[in-house]
Amino acid sequence: MPELIRVRPTKIELVKLKRRLSLAQRVQKIVKDRLSILTMEFLQTARDTVEAKRKVLDESSRLYKALSIAAGYHGYIAMGKELAATEADLKVAAGSRNIAGVRIPSFELVGSGKSTRGYNLVDTSSWLDRAAQLSEECLKAIVELAELQRSFELLAAEINRTKRITNALEYLVIPGLQATIRYLNMKFEERDREEKARLKRVKVLVARE
Amino acid sequence: MNQSPYERLLQESVRGELRIVNAGLPKSRERLSNLLNEQYPHVICHDGSTHTFKKGELEYLESIVDTDEQKALALPMLIELGPNQGEAAIICEGEVEQKTISKVLNMPVKCEQRRIRLYKPQLALLRRKLKTTTAYVFSPKIVA
Repeated sequence: MPELIRVRPTKIELVKLKRRLSLAQRVQKIVKDRLSILTMEFLQTARDTVEAKRKVLDESSRLYKALSIAAGYHGYIAMGKELAATEADLKVAAGSRNIAGVRIPSFELVGSGKSTRGYNLVDTSSWLDRAAQLSEECLKAIVELAELQRSFELLAAEINRTKRITNALEYLVIPGLQATIRYLNMKFEERDREEKARLKRVKVLVARE
Repeated sequence: MNQSPYERLLQESVRGELRIVNAGLPKSRERLSNLLNEQYPHVICHDGSTHTFKKGELEYLESIVDTDEQKALALPMLIELGPNQGEAAIICEGEVEQKTISKVLNMPVKCEQRRIRLYKPQLALLRRKLKTTTAYVFSPKIVA
């Protein structure tokens, strides 16, 4: 049984309640739409996150294999000497975007634009090139995963919050308003009937006199 | 009228929802040609935050539209939700959005009364490919 709102039984209050009901219904529609959109985005992000995690694990596995081979070919000391002179001029462009009112981080790996990696190509082999290429791909995958993982968490929290508001509107606010409006209408009808009965009695009394 | 604190709290949270939902919309949209020349392409939103575009998506759009159409395509493209939850509509200013959406979805779409109607599966596919170059609009009006 929905709870009645305590109001004075006047016509003005009835008008105010009707306006509030109409606003609540419009907001309920918007919140429900938002929830469906957030759910769609959340499911897509979940699929992408699983895919990204798998990609990171695969890339890391391939990278370590390639790095082991390169280290085996060159030796750790020689490889360390070659790589000591190099430095990756990589940046992560961090921004944000908005999905239906939820602020989501946006990361993109920005390369230096240089064609060479910095180490001596004559003294190194293609094994090291392969390892360097795979490490760049692995970094890219890690950055993508970071964005997706955080988006996943933020969307989940927002869906929880929005679901509570939708439920509150659907099961508490709107039924309460509807029940109070029905109650007030019943009160007014009763008042009208009493008024009519009173007028009839008065008419009869006046007629007797 | 004496309101219970709980009711007042609910009213405030409901008003807050309407404010939150469209706060992230951009104040003004940028043309694709301008965004491609920027180092960090972005637009400013109503709540003061920035909406960043991914360069990969901009390059993808560059590959599917002509140079003249790049000057006409305003980003982000706005997706308005329809009266029932199964439909959405993209607000389009001209034919360039129609051509772009057709190429992205790989199916023909039609622009009627400045709106391109999409169904949920099409919307999901569009959002998968264009995550930062599209944005949702929640309109209190009913889209006819």
